Amino acid sequence: MAVTILARDHLRLQAAQERVTIDRSCRGPVLAFSATALFWLLVGSLLALLASLKLHSPYFLTGSAIWTFGRVRMAHLQAVALGWSSLAAMAACLWLMCRLARVELIYPRMLYLACALWNVATTLAVAGILLGDGTSVEWLDAPTYAHPFFVAGVGLVTAWVVATFRRRREAHVYVTQWYILAAVFWFPWLYTVATLMIFWIPATGVIQPVVNWWFNHNFLGLWLTPIGVGTAYYIIPKILGRPIHSYYLSITGFWALALFYSWAGIHHLIGGPIPAWLATASTVGSMMMFIPVIAVAINHHMTMIGHFHRLKYSPALRFTVFGAIAYTAVSFQGSIESLKDFSEVAHFTHYTVGHAHLGAYGFVAMIFFGLYYYMIPRLTGREWYSSKLIRLHFWCSAVGITLYFTALSIGGWWQGRMLNNPNVPFANIIMYIQPYLALRSVAGTMMTIGHIAFAILFIINLAGWGRQRSGGPTLFAQPPQLTPSELPKADSLMNAPVTQLQP
Amino acid sequence: MDRGMILFIGVLLTFTSSWLGLVLFPFWQLQNQPAFQTSPEEEPYPRPLQGLAWTGMKVYQKNGCMYCHSQQIRSERFGNWWEDPTGIMRTGGDIRRGWGTRRNVPRDYIYDSPTMLGTMRTGPDLANIGSRYSATWQHIHTYNPRALNSWSIMPSFAFMYRKERIVGSRSEKALPLGREWTVRPGYRWRPSPNEWAAILQQSGDQIKARFLRESGQPISDWTTPETQQQLLEFWLATPEEDWQILPTEEAEALVAYLLSLRKAEYPLPEAKE
Repeated sequence: MAVTILARDHLRLQAAQERVTIDRSCRGPVLAFSATALFWLLVGSLLALLASLKLHSPYFLTGSAIWTFGRVRMAHLQAVALGWSSLAAMAACLWLMCRLARVELIYPRMLYLACALWNVATTLAVAGILLGDGTSVEWLDAPTYAHPFFVAGVGLVTAWVVATFRRRREAHVYVTQWYILAAVFWFPWLYTVATLMIFWIPATGVIQPVVNWWFNHNFLGLWLTPIGVGTAYYIIPKILGRPIHSYYLSITGFWALALFYSWAGIHHLIGGPIPAWLATASTVGSMMMFIPVIAVAINHHMTMIGHFHRLKYSPALRFTVFGAIAYTAVSFQGSIESLKDFSEVAHFTHYTVGHAHLGAYGFVAMIFFGLYYYMIPRLTGREWYSSKLIRLHFWCSAVGITLYFTALSIGGWWQGRMLNNPNVPFANIIMYIQPYLALRSVAGTMMTIGHIAFAILFIINLAGWGRQRSGGPTLFAQPPQLTPSELPKADSLMNAPVTQLQP
Repeated sequence: MDRGMILFIGVLLTFTSSWLGLVLFPFWQLQNQPAFQTSPEEEPYPRPLQGLAWTGMKVYQKNGCMYCHSQQIRSERFGNWWEDPTGIMRTGGDIRRGWGTRRNVPRDYIYDSPTMLGTMRTGPDLANIGSRYSATWQHIHTYNPRALNSWSIMPSFAFMYRKERIVGSRSEKALPLGREWTVRPGYRWRPSPNEWAAILQQSGDQIKARFLRESGQPISDWTTPETQQQLLEFWLATPEEDWQILPTEEAEALVAYLLSLRKAEYPLPEAKE
């Protein structure tokens, strides 16, 4: 017994030492991706707030072409989807790949170039749209001259991920790695095919919106979702110090997502001038999504069962678990939303906007916030400056997105019911929806305040004003000392892959 | 699942399935749809956008109009959510709203690029807007939607119009709007009490004379609050004497595009119900 414990301690020490070396090698490139992602989050939040205010106060900042609603809305989407979410997703890919493959980061200059290319692309997209080059192709609003930069940027990241994977020193390939490998392969293909078929060699008529919705839905489904889910698959077991609930369930979840999510997008064109079988095929795909979503939900939440009290202490865990719960919720909602009777009401309304934000923010952004709170101190060697600011960030984001979602779901649903009833004059619908749109601005203001708190924490950490990490992590509250019966059993730790252990 | 190759092949195959099914298959099905013609002499429908209307489509595109306006009329069999006075649940709100006379089909869009079907109806559908309103209405509405609908939340596109001093006579293209909408383009203007007092001092008699002439209403006492309010409203509704609002080329193009939108009018055999 004593020998086992000694061997275990030795292994743990070695693994922790290795992780410190790997994190040190990741520092520069991963921080470059993370910091610029955060910059675009702030830009995107301000644009969002402006667009939101304009929808219920049309006289606000009127009279200039640059800040007109349509342009601001397009610029917001590019800033948060391609700026913030995608850069944060790539930061996650880099760091998680290095840690899970147990190799130090290779080719840092290639990654700096990728980061620069992607940021040039996002700048061209956001500035181009505001100055009048927006394309009005939802999610692909970036002017065509930004396309090559996006493709080159993500292409380099994909090549890097494959190169790192081939050098892996850990024989076991963890579920997070499957998701990352799949995502970095899917996204460049998706983006290239969609831009080619819509802009460079435009397909005829309604094929464009079909390709457009195939892209849009898969941007979330095959790019942000796999990386978001993969990140949660890493963070939750890591902080809890226990393995995920079921390895086989994670395989089912992964392959079912790969097969069904890519089919789900076209239900957004329900009732539109497209062949009816297309929307039906997508509805089937959306319903089948229950399989991977339930598999992932069981895995994430069953791992948490019995450990929810840990949410009181760990900021990273709290954000990540919020995101994981939102993923389950938004996916169930999405499957049901694709049903014809439901979609006929929700289509063309703010209900869909609420749903999109529950996915892109409640799920994706919250998980990336969790990742930042866990990852950044390990990269910089410094802890977060203030748990009060983290608390402010969490509650602004959590209450903000909940209010956002609730307001738009209720308002949007009745907007849809009234739109379908030709006896309701259009003016009544506009007047009915306004209080809900105003509530959305309140929610957006809260979320923006949260992001500013987040940015302050990040800058303080980078500038080196925080405590050294050796002092222990910044927690919301100090957990009580664990009693021996609560400590993880030595056996379960020995059976778990080394990579899942707490440093 | 520790083998990279198996992962790669699986990921490739699953994704290819949706690419074939959702992208390539409809592409083959729809890419070569011709315009519709009953006889060779007849003009085919639809026709590609040309000239000013095409430029206007670009204005529509770059200002993100489609984020509030769809361009698709849905079938009369779509939806089942409203009750007519006899208590029967009805379908097909789009056509009943007068947004078009028939549903839209793929052929209506064969010359559109980008195809801006839209995903949102914060504002009404525009597939057939060209048959609903005149050019003047469109110009006033684009300049400031609240000049026509007080409840509207559409942005003002006053930046597509220029305010010019009148030289000689007022241009034929000038927007027929009262000074309330033209003093501060994009906003609704009201003089402050001091400004209004100064205006009355300077040209009160002329305004009063004009009010009497145009309203035909005999007013003996100009000092009551009601008559003062009436006079102010009257004056605000009259155009500015020295200034006019003219559409720029962008505005002309946008309105030409809006007037060209008649996607749900011409009967097509495949769009019966």
